[in-house]
Amino acid sequence: MSDLVWLHEDALSMDHPVFDRAAPGSLAVYVWDDAYLQQVDYGFKRLLFIYESLLELDARIVRGDFVDCLGRLAREQGGRIRVPETPNPRLQQVVEQLRGEFEVDVVDGRPFVSLPREADLRRFFRYWNKARGAAMNAGGGAGESC
Amino acid sequence: MDELAREFPSREALVDYVAGLCPRLDDHRASEIAGGESAARERLQAIEPKRYGRTRNFLDGAVTGLSPYIRHGILTLDEVRNEALGRCERPAQIEKFIQELAWRDYWQRVYRRHPERIWQDVEDYKTGFLADEYTDELPADIAAGETGVACIDQFIATLLTSGYLHNHARMYLASYVVHWRRVRWQAGARWFLHHLLDGDPASNNLSWQWVASTFANKPYIFSLDNLRKYASDDINVASADNAEIDASYDELTRRLFPRLGKSS
Repeated sequence: MSDLVWLHEDALSMDHPVFDRAAPGSLAVYVWDDAYLQQVDYGFKRLLFIYESLLELDARIVRGDFVDCLGRLAREQGGRIRVPETPNPRLQQVVEQLRGEFEVDVVDGRPFVSLPREADLRRFFRYWNKARGAAMNAGGGAGESC
Repeated sequence: MDELAREFPSREALVDYVAGLCPRLDDHRASEIAGGESAARERLQAIEPKRYGRTRNFLDGAVTGLSPYIRHGILTLDEVRNEALGRCERPAQIEKFIQELAWRDYWQRVYRRHPERIWQDVEDYKTGFLADEYTDELPADIAAGETGVACIDQFIATLLTSGYLHNHARMYLASYVVHWRRVRWQAGARWFLHHLLDGDPASNNLSWQWVASTFANKPYIFSLDNLRKYASDDINVASADNAEIDASYDELTRRLFPRLGKSS
């Protein structure tokens, strides 16, 4: 059984940790969903940028509805889908729909800094005061900077 | 489900193909900025993080142009930061550079925690006006880059032709739209998201809210004098061609926010 890896617009990379988790021989795919692209109203330049970026990935490009395409391909691959984490509510919704039928594994990207979940985000500088030490180090790890 | 093509003899052929996928769009002009990891790596190799700290606010400063690649996960904040750290003797030399990467991380965190804030006012405007006193739609002269304010029209032309704009120019333009024209920030944010290659709901919309003052303690405004300090040589900063923004900060504040003085 191999996995299906869904490369969406927030993770157009073969270097994402999702590939560390995927079984050998997994299939990566980008879905060109016209209804979604119309909803988000991206202009042509943006769409071209995305398409041009896809050409450097070892991934199929298919056109159709997200859930329909991913479902079909996942069935062919063996039923497990791995997805780079995204804050995009519409893409999260697709993931939830797929969970009804498939095992879906959402994989975080490499963090810029590790902060507690409840970190104060009311203004940037409250965040920066907490994040600065780690942000100034390679890998975003703890430690004194400068 | 249709399989889409992956091989093209030229960029022109790719442009034609993608244009065929989206006939509903009437503008099929390409940006000069190329997508893909190899273009991203080329730009990453060219970053000057120390000079960035000194010059980033200038429209011809040493900005990186990496945002379209970061936005789409082609490069991560982590690897850009690590690359930059390799180009300085001490991290403190590139703190400004890392802080700007941190802004994106911050906006993404706010997005994850409060997705509703992306399109809703986080707070009230601090301009003396209520939200419903702002126009909902982007005026046609702004969309076309024909406002009559020369520098603003130049920024709009750059946005429309390249899909990219220097951050400072974005702030000037957003400020003009919201405060000079009294347009709701949401209309401007939608417009930017349509055109910008790096358009991101979090960074874009929350920055518009910062300019508007619905996610900041005061509205962001600028003057022609300020713009002259940071403008590149190609920007028309003549007083006669930019009359609407040619005044002192005090005068502009009085003109743009006439109710503020009365309440304080």
